[in-house]
Amino acid sequence: MAVETKIDPIWAWQPFTPSDSQPWDRSLAAHLYRRAGFGADLQLLDEAVAQSPHDVVDELIALNLETSDFRAVADSLAQTLLAGGDPMKLSAAWVYRLLFTPAQLLEKTTLFWHGHFATGADKVKDSAMMWRQNQLLRRHALGDFQALAQAIAKDPAMLIYLDSTSNRKSHPNENFARELMELFCLGEGHYSETDVVELARCFTGWEIRRDRFRKNRYQHDEGEKSILGKRGAFDGEQAVEIVVGRDDMPRFICRKLARYFIADELELTDDLIEIPAATMRENNLQIAPVLKLMLSSNLFFSAHARARKIKSPVELVIGMLRGLNGTTNSQLVARGLRDIGQGLFYPPNVKGWDGGRAWINSSTVLGRANLFEKLLSDEDTKFDGRSLTQSLADHDIHDADHAIDHFEHCLMAVPINPATRRQLNVQFGSLGKDPEKNYRRLLHAVCSLPEFQLA
Amino acid sequence: MFSERTNRRRFLYTSGGGGLAIGIGSSLPSCFLHAAESATGDEDRILVVVQLSGGNDGLNTVIPYADDAYRAARATLAVPRSEVLAIDDDLGFHPSLRGIKDLLDDGQVAVVQGVGYENPNRSHFESMDIWHSCVRKDQSRTDGWIGRALEQFTAADGGDVPALHLGEQQQPFALASETIRVPTVKQLEAFQLRGADSPALRRLLNGPPTPAADQAGGDLLGFLQSSTQGAISASQRVTAAAEGYQTDIKYPQSRLADQLRLVAQLISAEMTTRVYYLQLDGFDTHAQQGDTHAILLRQWSDAVAAFLRDMKAHGHTDRVCVMTFSEFGRRVAENASAGTDHGAAGPMFLCGGGLNAGLIGTAPRLDDLQQGDLKHSVDFRSVYASVLKDWLGTDPDRVLRGHYETLPLFAGA
Repeated sequence: MAVETKIDPIWAWQPFTPSDSQPWDRSLAAHLYRRAGFGADLQLLDEAVAQSPHDVVDELIALNLETSDFRAVADSLAQTLLAGGDPMKLSAAWVYRLLFTPAQLLEKTTLFWHGHFATGADKVKDSAMMWRQNQLLRRHALGDFQALAQAIAKDPAMLIYLDSTSNRKSHPNENFARELMELFCLGEGHYSETDVVELARCFTGWEIRRDRFRKNRYQHDEGEKSILGKRGAFDGEQAVEIVVGRDDMPRFICRKLARYFIADELELTDDLIEIPAATMRENNLQIAPVLKLMLSSNLFFSAHARARKIKSPVELVIGMLRGLNGTTNSQLVARGLRDIGQGLFYPPNVKGWDGGRAWINSSTVLGRANLFEKLLSDEDTKFDGRSLTQSLADHDIHDADHAIDHFEHCLMAVPINPATRRQLNVQFGSLGKDPEKNYRRLLHAVCSLPEFQLA
Repeated sequence: MFSERTNRRRFLYTSGGGGLAIGIGSSLPSCFLHAAESATGDEDRILVVVQLSGGNDGLNTVIPYADDAYRAARATLAVPRSEVLAIDDDLGFHPSLRGIKDLLDDGQVAVVQGVGYENPNRSHFESMDIWHSCVRKDQSRTDGWIGRALEQFTAADGGDVPALHLGEQQQPFALASETIRVPTVKQLEAFQLRGADSPALRRLLNGPPTPAADQAGGDLLGFLQSSTQGAISASQRVTAAAEGYQTDIKYPQSRLADQLRLVAQLISAEMTTRVYYLQLDGFDTHAQQGDTHAILLRQWSDAVAAFLRDMKAHGHTDRVCVMTFSEFGRRVAENASAGTDHGAAGPMFLCGGGLNAGLIGTAPRLDDLQQGDLKHSVDFRSVYASVLKDWLGTDPDRVLRGHYETLPLFAGA
């Protein structure tokens, strides 16, 4: 790991101001869109550059609800696909949303919460229930964390996933209680085994009946409990409130948000994370102000953050499509994402995706290249609704060398190094008789490069 | 193609198996046997690790069927005495473990009882990290125990990777190393570049890495470059090695069995890879444990038994050891959902040809619990130490970051 100089927390979280050495340009705007969303084409980048970075962040935050038109279309698509009952089809409906939503930050954050409150369709087996959870996450994504945690504690899909569909006072099921502290709010080491046992008692009587949450008061343990230093005859809601109210919670959540939005391997010391954590506390545990702070910060636009993330499979594929204004077969993408480790509605376990270097192994490296091969040889894959050749021609691009430039501008967090570029040109640069096929081969090669995996 | 060592071992094995044909008689003369034994040097031995993820219920795996306390603690989950596959008067296997029981009777299983560690952690993720790294959270964790062991092996001929992970899951931290990149193979068919352009793409991606350290992206880019090159070369070698494999052994239909069959393929193709790592998920049985656990145990048992039969048929029995573990056992008392919550100690299994077969250590007591959990009597690192020293022939202390006594697991140790 590279030696990082210690980051000054005050500087880190102050708002970024463009300067001559770091001008607000297409490249910085592309960084913002890759992180706060899934990417932007040249038109969106140019619109962003015409504004200030703060205005763009404000706008991304303000789109905390989908426009009703888009929502109507995306929801009805999901409902149609849901009718088949296959969660993989639901996964394709989400791909559609990721690809077309105007509310990119909302969707990116919804995906964050799906990895955080991870729930797998392979165990829940009910796609309608998974869909309801997805809507729940979207509804609260940029809102109040307390409300989100309370809602997820009663979410049928979550409780089925954690085997808590009938929690009786005689032998409380500890699974949800443990994960609420370990994975959802506080982190391992910030509670004791006794806290797990006592917290589990609070949730007794909570059940899922006919796919809905309900309380069975005959099964609730009404005795006094002792959780995290507090004593009382707490029920489940009070238990969530106590856990969420801990001082450790905002630091835990902000660390995870910073890894997701800023950098995979930044050393997030207590000093550094305290400012976002304080922001979260001061704003009554609202998420939007924390994201606004992070996405407008010096740290976010600095070398500590730029190209310091490995793209998740969703960022990889949706990023390529959004960057070139591409569209494709959502089912193909949904299956492909699962093959390379990020099946939507299929997180690997309750801890969700670890991200960072964990995305990469020999299989996924080959799988990422193969997925692009598949997408780019599919007839449904179009750019600006047309062929790649026509789309490039609209940008006045007629040869391989300029196409490489264009791909680099729209898609890459780091430039392609000169030696690789020469080799690309030699091996994939000849457009020959079938330019469409050859532009696609070239794009496939660019997307397979190690550099392309960086966000 | 094959090293001299491998050829010698193959030749000796073949002549042993065909003893009658070359007129020596039904048993080999002792000079041949010694030669055959020494031909299986440390560097020839293979470790296959099977991780049972989610916390296997050890108490319903190796069952204290004669203990009334067992039945008392498990009103619905206790396995009826008549169904237990008795090992001795006190203990027996779950009825799903027919394959493992047969292997035991054949002298190919060592069961280490009551394995765990001090101050057990009941988080799946933290406990797994402890098993993988061998150290607690307050110490620095940059690599795993197998990753550190790989760094001590001398590089084998043929350019094969020293270890291979097979599975859909994220690569286990046990394989992490500062210098060695272990490939993950999900499925053999998908483990190669597809498309008409694949030779050109392979040339492009396999080119010399660019100096990454001074670029944006820094060491992450370096990591991506070496991962890409490693993937390309592993893909070519593994694909070539697996071609043309034949076996008469029928493997059961399960993912684990498919993966073990691939391991058998690669071993038979004389890959010099020393460690294979596989995972079987689903042991987090908080509710309705009975059927799920029975299915999972059967998958594990049948797959391992088929694999070892295959290894025997191909003459590799004495080179292969399958080590199975889980991050913790489960609570002794069942919960109200006919499941069990996270517990502590559990058994570990070693299967293969070179073992001191049978039960090793003492069974945990049901009348002496710790927070409702079984107490451990063997530190898991002692099992690792035995495997490292007596099987893989490497220094355990450096790998384990401390000294742990070895156990009499291996014959001749």
